[in-house]
Amino acid sequence: MTEIAKVRVRVWDGPTRIAHWSMVGLFGLSWWTAETGRLEWHRWSGYVFLGVLLFRVCWGFFGSSTARFAQFLKGPREVVAYVRGRWALAPGHNPLGALSVLVLLLLLLAQVALGLFAVDVDGIESGPLSTHVSFETGRVAAHWHGVVFNTLQVFIGLHIAAVLFYVFVKKENLVGAMLGGKRAYDSQPAEPVRFASWVRLIVAVVIAAAIAWVVSRE
Amino acid sequence: MRRYAFLAGSLVMAAAVLAATPQELQKQRHEHYEHLGDSFKAVRDGAKALTPDWAAIEKAALEVEKASKKQDQWFAKGTGPEAGKTRALPEIWSKPADFAAAAKMFEDKTPALVAAAKAKDVDAVNKAFREVGGSCKNCHDTFRAPED
Repeated sequence: MTEIAKVRVRVWDGPTRIAHWSMVGLFGLSWWTAETGRLEWHRWSGYVFLGVLLFRVCWGFFGSSTARFAQFLKGPREVVAYVRGRWALAPGHNPLGALSVLVLLLLLLAQVALGLFAVDVDGIESGPLSTHVSFETGRVAAHWHGVVFNTLQVFIGLHIAAVLFYVFVKKENLVGAMLGGKRAYDSQPAEPVRFASWVRLIVAVVIAAAIAWVVSRE
Repeated sequence: MRRYAFLAGSLVMAAAVLAATPQELQKQRHEHYEHLGDSFKAVRDGAKALTPDWAAIEKAALEVEKASKKQDQWFAKGTGPEAGKTRALPEIWSKPADFAAAAKMFEDKTPALVAAAKAKDVDAVNKAFREVGGSCKNCHDTFRAPED
């Protein structure tokens, strides 16, 4: 495919990209600290993860346009249209990719929530909110924390495979876009991307950090 | 006639308990450890409260101490993996001296937990909790199979 006078458009803002790659790092850190029994570090990884996830949720409501759930979440008709190739390429998640974003965010939120209540088999290591539930409930939370982890592995694997498919088969450099924020389009998009102000960024960061901090102090 | 039926029934039940199968003993052991985990959690959660319920914490600490003293009764010969699903490893029976030493470490650490609870001392409870937890790990590392 030869590239003819393509336009480079900024799609993803800094906060969205930082949130994405932080989650990649935190997932790896959470995984490793759990595997190696570093539960104190695991909990801190979880608190930071909670903060990042809460930020992303806030940003999904009042962040830059491409980060907003209202912008990229579409119904089944749009997903089918996209798969059939009858979808005008526009900045941001396509309707199919949008589903994976939704599923991954929901799974990650569930994982953090379960971890907050989880208790290990000896009653020694536990999440900060586990004092509010019984040993039995904490053990159930721990079990599902493990189940959701396995589910996440599957969906993250799918996500990576899909992205690689886009990069190498469809020749759409999604990785570059999520790193530098920009990607090439044939022409200027019909709807320009609207980027959120510093004020909104600060509000989202404060909300997310405050909640994560309170939880970590439990 | 009914009197004799009751006596006979009691004897049968007593015999059943005394002649518990390895699988039943495994189940009882599992329940003992579940209770221990529950009590251990209760100690830690209790000490974290703004106004600790010291009566409850002491009660839970005593349960932990009791478990540490009775533990040797939970590992009858034949109740290892050969009898059924259990996380108890064969080393418990093949290395009895090492197992006894690990069990003794647990038994030696629990009185401090009870004492701290009786003294209503949060810092002492937390310290003793970590010490006992260390003794749990010490045994589990060698004698309990990892979670699958």
